[in-house]
Amino acid sequence: MSAADISAEPVRRPFTGRRVRFGDLLLQALAGGAALGATVLVGLIVWKLIDGAHPALSKYGLGFVTRIAWNPVVGHELYGAGSFLFGTVITSFFALLVATPLAIGVALFLSELAPRVVQAPVTALVETLAAVPSVLVGLWGILVLGPALRTHIEPWLHSGLGWIPLFGTPSAAGASVFTAIIVLAIMILPIVSSISRELFLGVPSELKEGALALGTTRWEMVRGVVLPYSRGGIAAALILGLGRAMGEAIAVTQVIGGGVFIHWNLFGTGDTLGSKIAASYQGASTNLQSASLIYLGLILLVLSLAANIVAQWIVRRVSRQHGVTRGGHA
Amino acid sequence: MPKLGTSIRIISAVAAAALLAVVVAGTAGARSDATVSGAGSTFVSPLVAQWQQAVGGALGIELQYSPIGSGGGIAAITSRTVDFGASDAPLTSDQFNACNGCEQIPWALGGTSIMYNLPGVKNLLHMDGATLAKIFMGQITKWSDPAIASLNKGVSLPDTAITIAHRSDNSGTTYNLTDYLSSVSPSWKSQLGVGVAVNWPVGVGAKGSSGVAGVVASTPGAIGYADVAFALQNHLKYFAMKNNSGKFTTPGSRGILAAASSDQKPAADNSLSIVNPPKKFANAYPISTFTYVIVPLQTSKAADLKKLLFWAVTHGQTGTYTAKLRFVPLPKSVLVVDEKAISKIHS
Repeated sequence: MSAADISAEPVRRPFTGRRVRFGDLLLQALAGGAALGATVLVGLIVWKLIDGAHPALSKYGLGFVTRIAWNPVVGHELYGAGSFLFGTVITSFFALLVATPLAIGVALFLSELAPRVVQAPVTALVETLAAVPSVLVGLWGILVLGPALRTHIEPWLHSGLGWIPLFGTPSAAGASVFTAIIVLAIMILPIVSSISRELFLGVPSELKEGALALGTTRWEMVRGVVLPYSRGGIAAALILGLGRAMGEAIAVTQVIGGGVFIHWNLFGTGDTLGSKIAASYQGASTNLQSASLIYLGLILLVLSLAANIVAQWIVRRVSRQHGVTRGGHA
Repeated sequence: MPKLGTSIRIISAVAAAALLAVVVAGTAGARSDATVSGAGSTFVSPLVAQWQQAVGGALGIELQYSPIGSGGGIAAITSRTVDFGASDAPLTSDQFNACNGCEQIPWALGGTSIMYNLPGVKNLLHMDGATLAKIFMGQITKWSDPAIASLNKGVSLPDTAITIAHRSDNSGTTYNLTDYLSSVSPSWKSQLGVGVAVNWPVGVGAKGSSGVAGVVASTPGAIGYADVAFALQNHLKYFAMKNNSGKFTTPGSRGILAAASSDQKPAADNSLSIVNPPKKFANAYPISTFTYVIVPLQTSKAADLKKLLFWAVTHGQTGTYTAKLRFVPLPKSVLVVDEKAISKIHS
């Protein structure tokens, strides 16, 4: 809406009384056009998804979302998103759970604790991690991480914590929900840590030094000043990471192993919305199957939008509280 | 050692995929009389790779092929991003409609091997269809199961758990296997059926024949399926399968050719079914398949495409290209059908 407004009336409010300059007009047109283009693109994508999913939407309705089934065999066809939705939620939730403390730890180390000599190179390295293409992370998952988890970590967790359903029988082939979780955690770590680092560096040094001057330890300073000050930003960074985890398809397809079922054993195989689309879209054997795959895409889009809205709500809420407490301290 | 080999192969496959764009861009600039591009089946890809050089010399045609899986090949020819697609599974009617004026031509003949990784067992193991169906359905979970033991008297089988490796993408090799399992096991047929992808009750999914071979190679106790060439490349053993005459056969040229002789009459869409042939084909390997090239009837490259396909189904079938890879020359009856189909392509 706002994009359309901008491009519709090239106002010259800041320059009232003066001649409209060509450069300003050009800037208005280009920026407005870009904003309009992005809006139209989102609209087109949504429209195309709904259009493509139409055969499945009209055949299955909303029952599709929770049904646990995926049978592409001609004559037995039946589709549902239940197990993929479950897989997406489980993998992204646990990936976030693994990545959050690590990412915040890395960020704290780099912004508050690390000696200056170490800071620059380590920061650069962590940020390089974000630039590794996901297909390579997936490949590393197949060749190195999967076998390592299978032979060392999974049996160890199973023998110690096997009474928790999450840590069931270790996987045989190294492809499992657990491998996917670790791969995703590695992919969201650099995003969360580099944003958090910027946030921690942005905490006013008077506050930090004030706290230290009052005799707090470093840990107390971090807990009492740095973390509360950047709470809202960290929440937003986490949601960004969550969005990445939910949407990642290629790397997950490579390591998750597939399967249409719901179980709580992280060492078993599974599938997510994104990985199912990536694995089977090419050469879908019937129109209903392609439509159902696009329906999965639609669900993924709704899920990501919902996560974004929740994120914005959290950020607004946290920063409001945050403003109140700060006011109180002053 | 096999682990290292597998990793190198997987890495080189990815490198090849990454280089594809560069190669395509490079060759577009190079001077060449004609380029014909195709994509699809990984099953037939080792054979197409053998053809590439020869076609360049004999016909002056530059043949490009991307092994992205049968499903991918059908998608590519449907959107006309390539000049031909390749699939081991015949097109479904929905796919024919979507492809809008395509025909399929059987252009190679091979066998699907059931590979396994069972350290410590030196013998070549025997298997029959009913037992294999139970294994793929998750009803038999240990190598020491009486059903496997009774097929392999005198072999001491370990207690190792069986891990199934199957394709995660849409695959003609999956079609071939499930076609076979459906014909030998009524419960497979009613519960799972035939398709380029099925609702696997157990197992680990991997992408492409090389992906499945990789899982089998790195997982003790694993069973998977792929074109024999992939089993040979990965130094994996494969079962001798019991056919309807009671004989145990391997996917070699004798067994595949015997199976091929069981269907001499292609259907209206040129498809042939040679899976699980009747008893009188005593030497037949029961999981054999024709694999198809899918072409548009009308194309601007008609002349080059016709030349190429004619070469592929005649010269391309000679032992120089097929023997080492365990592909088998097309029988005469199929050749007749192919020539007629090729002549229908026009510009």
